Amino acid sequence: MFNSIDIDKLLNLFVFDPHDPLLFSTSFFLFFFFGLLIFYRLFANNKNLRIFTIIVFSLFFYYKAAGAYFVILIFSTFLNFYAGKIIGKIEVGNYKRQLVLVITLLVNLGLLGYFKYTNFFLQIYNDLSSGNIQPLDIFLPIGISFYTFKALSYVIDIYLETFEPIKSVRDFSLFMFFFPNLLIGPIDRAANFIPQIDEDKGITKEIIGKGLFLIMFGLLKKTLIADYISLNFVDRVFDSPLRFTGFENLMAVYGYAIQLYCDFSGYTDMALGIAMLLGFNLMDNFNWPYKATSIADFWRRWHISMSSWLLDYLFRPLQMTFRNMRMFGNALALMITFVAIGLWHGASWMFLFFGALHGFYVVVSILTKNIKKKFFKAVKLENTKLLIVIQIIITFHLAVFSFLFFRSPDFTTATSILTQIFTSFHSEVISQFVEGYSYIIFLMVFVMVLHYCPEGWRSKVENLISKTPLVGQAILLALVVWIAIQAKSADLQPFLYFKF
Amino acid sequence: MISEKLKKVILSELELDDFPMEDNMTASEVPNWDSLNHINIILAIEKEFRVKFKGAEILKVKNIGELQGLVDSKMAS
Repeated sequence: MFNSIDIDKLLNLFVFDPHDPLLFSTSFFLFFFFGLLIFYRLFANNKNLRIFTIIVFSLFFYYKAAGAYFVILIFSTFLNFYAGKIIGKIEVGNYKRQLVLVITLLVNLGLLGYFKYTNFFLQIYNDLSSGNIQPLDIFLPIGISFYTFKALSYVIDIYLETFEPIKSVRDFSLFMFFFPNLLIGPIDRAANFIPQIDEDKGITKEIIGKGLFLIMFGLLKKTLIADYISLNFVDRVFDSPLRFTGFENLMAVYGYAIQLYCDFSGYTDMALGIAMLLGFNLMDNFNWPYKATSIADFWRRWHISMSSWLLDYLFRPLQMTFRNMRMFGNALALMITFVAIGLWHGASWMFLFFGALHGFYVVVSILTKNIKKKFFKAVKLENTKLLIVIQIIITFHLAVFSFLFFRSPDFTTATSILTQIFTSFHSEVISQFVEGYSYIIFLMVFVMVLHYCPEGWRSKVENLISKTPLVGQAILLALVVWIAIQAKSADLQPFLYFKF
Repeated sequence: MISEKLKKVILSELELDDFPMEDNMTASEVPNWDSLNHINIILAIEKEFRVKFKGAEILKVKNIGELQGLVDSKMAS
């Protein structure tokens, strides 16, 4: 029976609530999405209706997350569409071309800066001048870092003549609004996405299987692994590190590295799977990052869409500008790029330090390249498997160390954790820990084993699921969703990358 | 087609004895040619061919064929 309260409750699901965006891992989203998918597939032959459906749903999706601020997304879409059009029309060599580009960059980055960094700069100003300006009450429109970067890549590519401006504002809106990667990426490139709008490729059984596999795998990574580890272990330690032994602190730092990876890559998998079912291939974001043999390699495997964006549009131009300084030019360009990577995640000293630390890692690595080479040769490690294993272990620990600062709310917390690890390790608690936290240890080991198991094994599982008859896949999906709902604790953990 | 001279400059910067290069090949397909030593290759080309590239010109180049094209156009002007 429907009474008024139930209807109100139901209606509330469709209204903006800053604490309740449509997360991919919520059952409301999943049911809604599969409903949409049936409608979408029924009209698969009508391109206009198909695009219109995604645009309307995407706007609703963004409204649920950002409320009235969805006008910023619309403004950004029109601004960059017309900027691209104008730049495309002005002939190469005319200074007006550069002028339009600079103005577009300033407006885009100005908006991003205002919403994201105003209070950070006020804080710095207060710290430097002992002033006391109150922080402003600024709402951060979710996903603004992601869609601003998406739009900028379009405009810059047109400026560099590597991409032609597109004629249809509708197609550009689809690229900008596309809900699967709107809030947390991947930061797709127009050159990758837009040509797919016109490709009328049918959705094969293989694609459905692969899409469902990614959705299921992502959902399990997020709910069964990331949320579980964070709620039951990592958060407790990071909230009050001094109440735990050094060993527990160390395990929490490892745990956070696993949690962050499963959280973010789980979300990405779901985004890729959802996009695939709608007929789009988005850019991948992760390639087993903890298998990296150097920090440079790590950034080719971790949040690939963002690191490659900054590589193309920030690092390369800087590298060209500083090229006469040779190695030091490279080092300077790297430091600036990595600080930008840090700050991209948010306006805080911790993120800035995280970026600078990675910059430092890579700079040291390139400056010592020749010495390392000679050393490996001298100790006969060159081109050996042992060297690869050593490099993987060192790189993993450098990344884990940096995530300690990424996760800590302030330097005091980070130093408390380090002090506990180095001064009160208490190895006698290990057996007790293993007993009490056996499921968490199992999850952590499982994720690492997944990293190092042969590629063939993973694709075998994927193929097996892709080739299961549709009914079997539907049952499997229902089972996974059920497990995910069961595993969910009373409070749903937000996806970590929301804040950025 | 990539000229022998350009190929030689690239191979020597990458410390390779030989590697077959096609026009449509991108930097990532050539061993050792990564984003970090990319700039050394550009500097070596500028020195060898006595040309000066503009930043945007290099950023536009997508593959080895286009790099050869850029060098040719610079030599001609």
